[in-house]
Amino acid sequence: MSAASDTKAQTSSRIGTFSLVFGVSFAILYVVCDMGAFPMFTYHPGPDRFDMGFTPPRRDEGPAMYWYGWIANSAVGASALGVLAALLPEKIRIRIPLALAWIAPVVLLPVLIYSLKFYWRWE
Amino acid sequence: MDFILDYISVNTFWTILAIVHALLAVALLGAITHQAAAVLAPARAGAAEGFVTHFRAVSGPRYAGAICVLWVLTFIFGAWIYTRYRVHVRLPIEQEGLFKTLGAFELKEHLTTIGLGLLPVYWYLWKNVRNAAYTSARKWLTVVLAAICWYAFLTGHVLNNVRGFGS
Repeated sequence: MSAASDTKAQTSSRIGTFSLVFGVSFAILYVVCDMGAFPMFTYHPGPDRFDMGFTPPRRDEGPAMYWYGWIANSAVGASALGVLAALLPEKIRIRIPLALAWIAPVVLLPVLIYSLKFYWRWE
Repeated sequence: MDFILDYISVNTFWTILAIVHALLAVALLGAITHQAAAVLAPARAGAAEGFVTHFRAVSGPRYAGAICVLWVLTFIFGAWIYTRYRVHVRLPIEQEGLFKTLGAFELKEHLTTIGLGLLPVYWYLWKNVRNAAYTSARKWLTVVLAAICWYAFLTGHVLNNVRGFGS
């Protein structure tokens, strides 16, 4: 293998590690942000206003939205973890199982269903 | 964007966005279903040339880029109309007590977001399609994303039937 293809394989592997760790940690962080109510910001669609962090809805202003803030927090956290993982030595990086890419969402599904237990009521 | 509302009503504007969101979702659903069929039950050489054979005989790698773009675009339009949904659709559904419908939609929002975060690794696995070590992860991640897409599509369809266009 030439030096050029060696370099390419290494870069490719780092990208692969970043994308894998980003995807898995994004999913986990998103569920944590959802269940722990940790949005980076709160959007109030009524008055079209943003507040930093978690802000409860205000009287006569309609609902508050946290979903965008959860995504932002998860993306920042997952990016940081992805970069850190990509910087790890190759002998450690190759030990991260690729199967986590599909196992993580499958495992998180029952957690998400449980987090929505408020809605699963029979009347 | 306010200048658009000089020409069309507010309801028409949001209805157009919802229709675009739905059309993008249809394209995404079709593409990812083809790809999932191709990895789950690839067409065998010499198989009879029927509809099913052609359906699953697509080239998976050729679909990967389009699926990523369609997922992102569908997500952006969904996130955009979500503000309208939160005030004008969800509140009336809450008042009607249709909590399971709302819960199903919340789950859709969570799953599509997680799917969005998995797109980079999905794209990476399909980009390196000749690497045999990636075959299993690529296959099952594609199936998981296809399942998320089907769930999201059907839930969105049901919610639109409950209170959709013109709301």
